[in-house]
Amino acid sequence: MSQTDNNLYDAIIIGAGMSGLVCGCYLAQAGMKVLIAEQHHKPGGYCSTFKRKGFTFDAAAHSFGSYREGGNFKTVVNELGLDHRIAIRRYDPADIVVTPNHRISFWNDWGKTIRELQLAFPHELKTKEFISFMADPKPADIAALRNQTFKEVLDRYFTDDKIKTILFCQLFGNGGLPPSLMSAFTGSKIFTEFVVDGGYYPDGGMQALPDTFAQRFTEFGGTLLLSSSVAIITEDRNKVSGVVLKNGTAIRSRCVISNCDARQTYFSLLKGYSLNNRFAEKLNSMKPSLSMFIAYLGIDEFFDALPQPGSTLWFLPHYNIEQMYLSAQNEYETDLSKYLLRVSPSGNTILAMANTSFKNKEYWDKNKQLLLKNFITIIEQTTVPNLSKHLRYQEAASPYTLHSYTLNYQGAAYGWESIKQQFLDPDFRKPTFIDGLYLTGHWTTYAQGLAGVVYLGYDLAKSIIRKDKTARA
Amino acid sequence: MTEHVQKEIISIISEVSGLDEGEITTDKDFFRDLEIDSIKAIEITVAIEKKFGVSVRDEDVPKITTVKEAVELVNNLLIQKT
Repeated sequence: MSQTDNNLYDAIIIGAGMSGLVCGCYLAQAGMKVLIAEQHHKPGGYCSTFKRKGFTFDAAAHSFGSYREGGNFKTVVNELGLDHRIAIRRYDPADIVVTPNHRISFWNDWGKTIRELQLAFPHELKTKEFISFMADPKPADIAALRNQTFKEVLDRYFTDDKIKTILFCQLFGNGGLPPSLMSAFTGSKIFTEFVVDGGYYPDGGMQALPDTFAQRFTEFGGTLLLSSSVAIITEDRNKVSGVVLKNGTAIRSRCVISNCDARQTYFSLLKGYSLNNRFAEKLNSMKPSLSMFIAYLGIDEFFDALPQPGSTLWFLPHYNIEQMYLSAQNEYETDLSKYLLRVSPSGNTILAMANTSFKNKEYWDKNKQLLLKNFITIIEQTTVPNLSKHLRYQEAASPYTLHSYTLNYQGAAYGWESIKQQFLDPDFRKPTFIDGLYLTGHWTTYAQGLAGVVYLGYDLAKSIIRKDKTARA
Repeated sequence: MTEHVQKEIISIISEVSGLDEGEITTDKDFFRDLEIDSIKAIEITVAIEKKFGVSVRDEDVPKITTVKEAVELVNNLLIQKT
């Protein structure tokens, strides 16, 4: 084979996040010649794991949903023949919400959760009705939510702000928006896939997911290049023609799939292309979601005050999520009073996260260690007394850290903010103006968390395979 | 009018689902036959609203489950508009 043939692919995927990996697996399985180029030295993006001083930490993603029979994640794992390769367990309760007056567990058995909620809020009569709708919504019923906010949905079922907050808490944690801004569609998706069907975790840590998919991808004949940044996407008369890597290697393909953030895709990777002004303005005005401040804590042993390993604890100091959102957006301060805490199933590491805004590198260089110390104190005072006595390792990731490892714009935790104006915009998935360019992952305006990006990778691959077949026929 | 509406709706469904227009006949069920899920259902609804400049009432959205039903609904909305 000539050098040219070696560098000609049916599809090139930029980024080995979960969405890129899933998409790559399906395309390669269908017989296409596929290349994935990833800038980091391991696959996974936010879904990865790192080791420090003998402790293994999940970097950001720490559990997932949509793994019931028929759930999107489960379907993908089964169709790619991975069901016997990854041991996935569901933890029970998946989540525990702690507020000033309540401690509500979200059990795998929803009957149990409903009873717990009914006992705490006997005056609310539609709890079961709400959960039934969220657990099994019909596609058309969901479509009816397209112009509403999740607040409107909650207000239809409940009157007490406390139950609304307890039910919404995980949507804030998985979508970074308060009820008044979160689209009802996105909210109900998160509720169905993360809350009703949440709590799954692979044995060995989150890295097991991308590692297994990456291995499968190469078995299907795909080529995975790690530590390989793409410098530009090349195009010719509004058709993509390939990519050039930072090391200068040119790789040709009529199909380029970007699993990285949309600003990077359009503004830096396509820098030679003159983007039409209207689209460039739209892109410039798009708002990224909130980022995170994350504490990685290694402990000497599991102790009583900790929540059960594998269950995620959500601590809310009050019931005003709108206020929590405003305070997380503050450009000058970092509010760590509302947080998520989780002991890894291995029992010796803790992940604690709080939403915050990006700010800038200088701010985090100056404040990160102090904030970590404060965060540990807050946790000790609110949910886990004596935590510091058990600490053997502590480190933090700021939004800047998240950005530097994954290149996500402003370290955004969930891609674009899922507000109504930034929701389901086809130009962020398959732009009409450049042929052969696709986007996948949480910057498409379609995704919600791991379940969402896995679905997008799957859906995009199916549509490319269909088109490819039609074109060959 | 019906024929034009039908053609446009089939084209929208084809665009969203990736299916060939020929596969999308008027009596096929979106969810059972055309593998349209909740995200695609909403995309189709939004695309129909944009294309015809109409707004589908929330309570009517669940009624759109075949091309035929979508065409009838859009026709009625277009008549109301004029």
